[in-house]
Amino acid sequence: MKALILVGGFGTRLRPLTLSVPKPLVDFGNKPMILHQIEALKEVGVTEVVLAINYQPEVMLNFLKDFENKLDIKITCSQETEPLGTAGPLALAREKLIDGSGDPFFVLNSDVISEYPFAQLIKFHKSHGGEATIMVTKVDEPSKYGVVVMEEGTGKVERFVEKPKIFVGNKINAGIYLLNPSILDRIQLKPTSIEKEVFPKIADERKLYAMVLPGFWMDIGQPRDYITGLRLYLDSLRKKASVKLASGPHILGNVLIHESAVIGEGCLIGPDVSIGPGCVVEAGVRLSRCTVMRGVRIKKHACISSSIIGWHSTVGQWARVENMTILGEDVHVCDEIYSNGGVVLPHKEIKSSILKPEIVM
Amino acid sequence: MGSSEERVVAVIMVGGPTKGTRFRPLSLNVPKPLFPLAGQPMVHHPISACRNIPNLVQIYLIGFYEEREFALYVSSISHELRVPVRYLREDKPHGSAGGLYSFRDHIMEESPSHIVLLNCDVCCSFPLEAMLGAHKSYGGIGTMLVIKVSAESASQFGELVADLETKELLHYTEKPETFVSNLINCGVYIFTPEIFSAIEDVFKQRKERANLRRVSSFEALLSATKALPADFVRLDQDILSPLAGKKQLYTFETLDFWEQIKTPGMSLRCSGLYLCQYRHTSPQLLASGDGTKKATITGDVYIHPSAKVHPSAKIGPNVSISANARIGAGVRLISCIILDDVEIMENAVVIRSIVGWKSTIGKWSRVQGEGDYNAKLGITILGEAVDVEDEVVVINSVVLPNKTLTVSVQEEIIL
Repeated sequence: MKALILVGGFGTRLRPLTLSVPKPLVDFGNKPMILHQIEALKEVGVTEVVLAINYQPEVMLNFLKDFENKLDIKITCSQETEPLGTAGPLALAREKLIDGSGDPFFVLNSDVISEYPFAQLIKFHKSHGGEATIMVTKVDEPSKYGVVVMEEGTGKVERFVEKPKIFVGNKINAGIYLLNPSILDRIQLKPTSIEKEVFPKIADERKLYAMVLPGFWMDIGQPRDYITGLRLYLDSLRKKASVKLASGPHILGNVLIHESAVIGEGCLIGPDVSIGPGCVVEAGVRLSRCTVMRGVRIKKHACISSSIIGWHSTVGQWARVENMTILGEDVHVCDEIYSNGGVVLPHKEIKSSILKPEIVM
Repeated sequence: MGSSEERVVAVIMVGGPTKGTRFRPLSLNVPKPLFPLAGQPMVHHPISACRNIPNLVQIYLIGFYEEREFALYVSSISHELRVPVRYLREDKPHGSAGGLYSFRDHIMEESPSHIVLLNCDVCCSFPLEAMLGAHKSYGGIGTMLVIKVSAESASQFGELVADLETKELLHYTEKPETFVSNLINCGVYIFTPEIFSAIEDVFKQRKERANLRRVSSFEALLSATKALPADFVRLDQDILSPLAGKKQLYTFETLDFWEQIKTPGMSLRCSGLYLCQYRHTSPQLLASGDGTKKATITGDVYIHPSAKVHPSAKIGPNVSISANARIGAGVRLISCIILDDVEIMENAVVIRSIVGWKSTIGKWSRVQGEGDYNAKLGITILGEAVDVEDEVVVINSVVLPNKTLTVSVQEEIIL
């Protein structure tokens, strides 16, 4: 089976992290975002993943060679020369997606994290015999999104309503689809929206079905949602009784610590923390609701909450970093500094406190 | 020394990528030395000034950017000037004197009688020919270009005291806390090859000190807070300051303009200073027009020959428009730098801003900077490929590359 992952553009909402690497390679839960999806696809028997990108293929391709070998799955890129929307890239990658077997192919939005219940999706898709299945997820505020109105028992999609003013349903498009190859005949190689142009037509023909996504769902394309997403992801690891989660007297709640990270004495870590490879957390450090990327050093007595610390950065002794502080790659926060929501671009030294949220270039 | 024995080598320090993030967001796309001022890359202005030096045999650019960033520029400028220009890459920053010293073999290859040292991010008239004449008459090992500034601003620079008659450098202090003098170091120097011995002496002294003395724990604490590697040698503090008052160093005062180009705001100001200078040095580069066949031009304006400007637009003063830009009908541009491939649509207004490569400015939109050139959000900067939609207003903001502005913003940084 094949899969297409819509990677898209510059990932500007995840700056400053995406100033250092392309968005799919930004780490989430100690592995590149896109690897979570590729591993789940491999598990259901996908043999080739096509990444639809419009930016920096060279950087991506180097990483991908690495995954290709480790995972034994073929990974290729399909590069847009002009933005093609959410459906156009399928037409562009047509030759790669059709292999003559007639098997349906997956299409995923690269920003989405979930449990990726692909086996259930395949089963449901085969059972209804329709042309396309989309996964939907329940949200509290459906009017912020496009709502999918579907028939209760069968899951047949009746219609899409974009940002509805009255309540029509609480399920939105989760960005995970399983599509028959015939769908490619409906899409031309030009900027096209799959939600606004392609799916509604298929829904009218009563050939579009929706399946409610079990488990958690999050679009982690921006820092606030990334941090919430980490909480949901670690929570799902806990539910599966994963051995990956850390335990011990210095651990509170769900915490992921890479085996090569070093944690000092007297720390209190958690809840909802991930600590990447090669990190050094010195004695007396408090970490909560944060992501600490590869190679970071957190010095003694520092306190970090609700923040993202970028690769190879350092946080000084007694520093306090909180409230959606995002440090880009190689940022050094000096001793005793306070950062309240500072967003710091790569290769900077923070020598004076940031009292209210601001961007430091 | 007759002029037939005179050979001059010019060295321009261009810096490198991690040093100084003050030039962001423009430095995210282009090395600062190649950012255009008045239509030419920043480094082009000191290089051009070197042309006026008689007996110039070679120009070296020294920095720690990747070689490929300068390859194209260096080969085209060598061809244009008919003087060899080469980029020499430092493996890591050595300080201005350290950098000069580490490439002394290249610099001395042509057996120069004089070495001109310039900093790329200095904006001035570079009166090199006159300065060389003065240097020869002083007979010292070095002459520095100096300028008088206001007493308040002097403390940001190297302050120096010079003998009023002999022009000898008597005293030098870098960024002093109390007032020393309002005469400051411009970052332009002429040396004889003896400067290398002076630098070598400093290396020797440091080695001796390290070997002979057991540094006390207190001294170790002091040096640990601002530790510089042994091979990092700063020209002003480590070499020139100790030589002051020893009849070795002299000063040459310029009465023209002088600025340091540290921020994008200053690059806009300096672009204006160079445009003004074109009136005397290269008037053919300045645009003209009165609204009939060509757009109305007021003040100093540079328009690249491939740019297209609608005749109903009004451009200037202090505007520089780069290659392939398209300026639509009824557009008003004041005090701005419009980079390559920008499209500005009908009736838009751009004031005190820098519009990045390939950006588009929508109809009736307004992109404006209202503050000080040196302030953080003093001018508006749009990075590469930023699209400002019709009728949107952008004031005192910085927008990083690849963004679309659909609503008006003020005093914001948009990542």
